[in-house]
Amino acid sequence: MKNRAIEKHFNLLDYALSSLWRRKLKNMGIITVFAVVIFLVASFQILTSSLTETAERMLAQTPEIVIQKMSAGRQESIPLAYLDRLDGIFGIRAAVPRVWGYYFDETSGANYTVMAADRSLMPEGKNLEMAIEGDFPAAGQGEAALGREVAANLKLAGRRTFSLFRPDLSLKSFRVSGIFAESTDLLTADLIVTGLDEGRDLFAIPENLATDLLLYVANPGEISTIAKKIAARLPDTRVLTRPQIHKTYKVVFGWRSGFASICLLTALAAFAILAWDKASGLSAEEKREIGILKILGWQTADILVLRFWESLAVSGLAFLGGCTAAYLHILFLEGSLFRPVLLGWSVIHPSLKIVPVFAAGDLLLIFTLSVLPYLAATVIPAWRGSTIPPDAAIK
Amino acid sequence: MRPAQILALVIFLLLTLDAALYCHVRLERLPRQRSAADLNDIVTAGLGLTDLCLATEARYTRHPAVSDPMAPFMDHPGAIEHFPTGSFWAVPKDRYL
Repeated sequence: MKNRAIEKHFNLLDYALSSLWRRKLKNMGIITVFAVVIFLVASFQILTSSLTETAERMLAQTPEIVIQKMSAGRQESIPLAYLDRLDGIFGIRAAVPRVWGYYFDETSGANYTVMAADRSLMPEGKNLEMAIEGDFPAAGQGEAALGREVAANLKLAGRRTFSLFRPDLSLKSFRVSGIFAESTDLLTADLIVTGLDEGRDLFAIPENLATDLLLYVANPGEISTIAKKIAARLPDTRVLTRPQIHKTYKVVFGWRSGFASICLLTALAAFAILAWDKASGLSAEEKREIGILKILGWQTADILVLRFWESLAVSGLAFLGGCTAAYLHILFLEGSLFRPVLLGWSVIHPSLKIVPVFAAGDLLLIFTLSVLPYLAATVIPAWRGSTIPPDAAIK
Repeated sequence: MRPAQILALVIFLLLTLDAALYCHVRLERLPRQRSAADLNDIVTAGLGLTDLCLATEARYTRHPAVSDPMAPFMDHPGAIEHFPTGSFWAVPKDRYL
């Protein structure tokens, strides 16, 4: 009995597939459009999940507290005297002034990030050589370590020196002490790291000022409390904590970002058109087919099962194909379809060799948004068609 | 071959491809990622980095974690956000003390 029921379903599936194959042009078109819609949504979901996970992993050791001075709604250099005003706040292990900023290279149109700090005060500062092919720039020697993309953009071609413009357009020369390792590209591609004095000289920042202050606390559980005390003592500053920095990357690549909304809306619009086409009724040919089947002795339930298998085959193939293509797109093509939007007018293009993250929840969400509504959309016309009297259907 | 068997074969091939991709990630990409993790931690801690180097065209997409949410609109009164990458990033909420 059980075998007969299974055999019946196999026969119905065979018939459904033959029926799909008879109208192969139309059905291939539906599968392709459906797969493209799923590919688009799944690609975006994988890319954003992967970027969020990458940020969380790579920025685990980010400073515990960052203090920026604000004036008229903009960030400006912070006086080093502010460090004295932090005296008496228990739990601060170290406070490090840092000078950093952006340098626009007019020749290539690239933006570099110039970073200058006293490495002896930084955690892991003494190990930085491990991440550099060459040496870390010695303080006061006019040296700089470059990210790989910066080195490529400066077109050094074997030269060890390069120059950048100070604000007064005089030239500041640097000697390249090393290049950051390729595996750190996602952090260092646009970096020019140099000594504190060289950074001040390049940006013409006086010795009593820094761009921001980095604070390290003894007990990570007290970060929030210490940050609140700092905010109360230095009301003209913005105090950022490590959990807040991590939180930023949890939300910036979300469904609410503009491009994601466009992708989602496009996908939904395409799907709505597809579902509408299905739900709006059967063609005369399909009605005639149902009429003939009923005359041959098929029951309404058989026809509903037949339509179910047809829809499941179409949506299942589109789902599998779309998701597989999306995974390939992120894994081997580094999300090339979204890269122009992700990078915009950036001249520096760090490699995006990320490990795709595709959680079961994401898979289920895309399945629920695509396959289930398609199955539901085909039920109504199938039921309407299968209840038509056979003689009326074939007239 | 019955049509159902052809469908099963196609699905099997797709699932095999998926399994191969998964194995590639587990055996090739993840070990490489793990070996680079220590270096990345050293760079992040040693330089005090707060952001990934993804988009370098605007300071608020190069360093979203330490940029003001108003930064895209600060060029002049009534300025609109015009960098393409701005459309990829959602505005972080409740970040400041």
